[in-house]
Amino acid sequence: MVRQSTRGAGVEPDGSGRIRVEGLGKRFGAVEAVRGLSFTVEPGAVTGFLGPNGSGKTTTLRAILGLVRPTAGTALVEGLPYGALPNPGRVVGAVLEAQGVHPARTARRHLHAVGAAVGVGEDRVEAVLGLVGLADAADRPAGGFSLGMNQRLALATALLGDPRILVLDEPGNGLDPQGIAWLREFLRGFARSGRTVLVSSHQLAELGQIVDRLVVLDAGTCVYQGATDGMRGRAAVRVRCADPARLAEALAARGVLEIDHVADGGLAVAADAVLVGDTALAAGVALYGLTEERGDLEQMFLRLTGGAA
Amino acid sequence: MTVVLPSACVLRGEALKVLSVRSWWALALPVAALALSVNVFGGLFAAAVGGGLDEGLPGVLPVSLAYSLGLTSVFAAVHGVVIATAEFRHRTVSTTYLVGGRVPVLLAKAAVAAGFGGVYALLTAVVGLPAGLLGQGAARLSSIGVLLGVIGTGIVVCALWSVLGVALGTVVVNQAGAMVGLLVYVLVLENLLSLVLRSGTDPDRAPGGVARLSSFLPANAGDIALYDLPARELGGRFGGTVVESLAGVAGPPPGWGALLVLLVWTGAGTALAWVVGDRRDVT
Repeated sequence: MVRQSTRGAGVEPDGSGRIRVEGLGKRFGAVEAVRGLSFTVEPGAVTGFLGPNGSGKTTTLRAILGLVRPTAGTALVEGLPYGALPNPGRVVGAVLEAQGVHPARTARRHLHAVGAAVGVGEDRVEAVLGLVGLADAADRPAGGFSLGMNQRLALATALLGDPRILVLDEPGNGLDPQGIAWLREFLRGFARSGRTVLVSSHQLAELGQIVDRLVVLDAGTCVYQGATDGMRGRAAVRVRCADPARLAEALAARGVLEIDHVADGGLAVAADAVLVGDTALAAGVALYGLTEERGDLEQMFLRLTGGAA
Repeated sequence: MTVVLPSACVLRGEALKVLSVRSWWALALPVAALALSVNVFGGLFAAAVGGGLDEGLPGVLPVSLAYSLGLTSVFAAVHGVVIATAEFRHRTVSTTYLVGGRVPVLLAKAAVAAGFGGVYALLTAVVGLPAGLLGQGAARLSSIGVLLGVIGTGIVVCALWSVLGVALGTVVVNQAGAMVGLLVYVLVLENLLSLVLRSGTDPDRAPGGVARLSSFLPANAGDIALYDLPARELGGRFGGTVVESLAGVAGPPPGWGALLVLLVWTGAGTALAWVVGDRRDVT
């Protein structure tokens, strides 16, 4: 059968704006970049995709977008593999690499070429140029652009098809503080309009203020997914006590297993302070200090991803 | 198997990409220069050799035109390689695949490249034919049918080589590697292969099966197709021998058969690019 490029003709996306990743695995030779990864990205929210460098974020995003072939599991966009979406530029806009433009092509010509493939006209090209603040530089070859300008051009490219879903890989790279503030506001507004934003970063500080939900990756596996506030709730209680080893044992007996021995000889425990105090009392361990560190997202991120607490 | 053809949108996008950079006309300049010089020389040669004969030597201009079209096909292939590999060199391939899909993009690039290959062939004819006529002066004119036949064949050969260039660029992706590989094969390796295949052939006997294989190599097949008509005009019933000399092959098939051989090579190359390009991880 020969047909035109209505990829996945007859099977339409469900229009939900939802991304569903189930049991995703990807191996590059001996390196297992991602394993057993499952999460869902819902519309109407900004979902942060966090993890240290090399944790598998880019591989996962590219698997969702059909650029990397998974060795296990599935990644579906609105119920379909990316490759089966008819006119995917209308469903998903992606910012994957800032300098994905031919250096000799002007920003306007680049957008005209991509816009032609998406099926949008010159009006839309001018609209996205204005939206990202590149109208004045539109006729300059992209080879002379700064990294920040290239990021804006990449975002303009992603927005050409007025998509329901935005996927961005480290979009803050190269942006100045004003640019980052603008991007945050833009993404928040995009999500408020009921659409989906999945944005990756290795720096929580970059996203902390705007993400509603988090998917945290470490060494290719998901170590947290859920509401941002939920992760805050898992923050540590710092304990100074007479016998840290005995207290840790007593806490473990009560099912509290996320316990770190910190530099000052105390413990950092991912549990409620009352539970820690009661456990210490029952175990007969003298407490010298009990400090609740709720709400420190950065610290929890570092704990979850194997960084310093 | 479902074949996914590119939509008009994807085709237009790919055409705009080619038109928005300089490589297509940067390659058109040497094409025109070569067409001019080769055919002026061809015309002068026709006038010098045929001027003293009552009948003249009408097949020389079509031969020089065919030769220049053969050279143009190399530029067409280079352009195909550039179209395909520029996406990887400038890391634009992610966006291109995301918007258009891998197979539709490959086919759209092949179609656009084929169009430009045809344009290069037409440019060769538009520049080469007047240059050749100017060079040969009052010498006897070749049959218009033969000249148009050579030009038409040239358009097809250049279009097919452009598609082969896109296929090669999609498989290799490294621009310098694909370019060097193409030029080394077309300009050196295939000639050496032909020599090896034809070695030991007795000129008084029909060539054997191994020697005949030289006619089925892609560059040789293109040359055979191009030289077929002029050789018949120049050599009459010894046209086949003339083609053997001009294309450096043994036991050549007829021109249409050689075009078919090149078409099969193009199809095979595109199929390989389809499989490799569809499975490649774009990281």
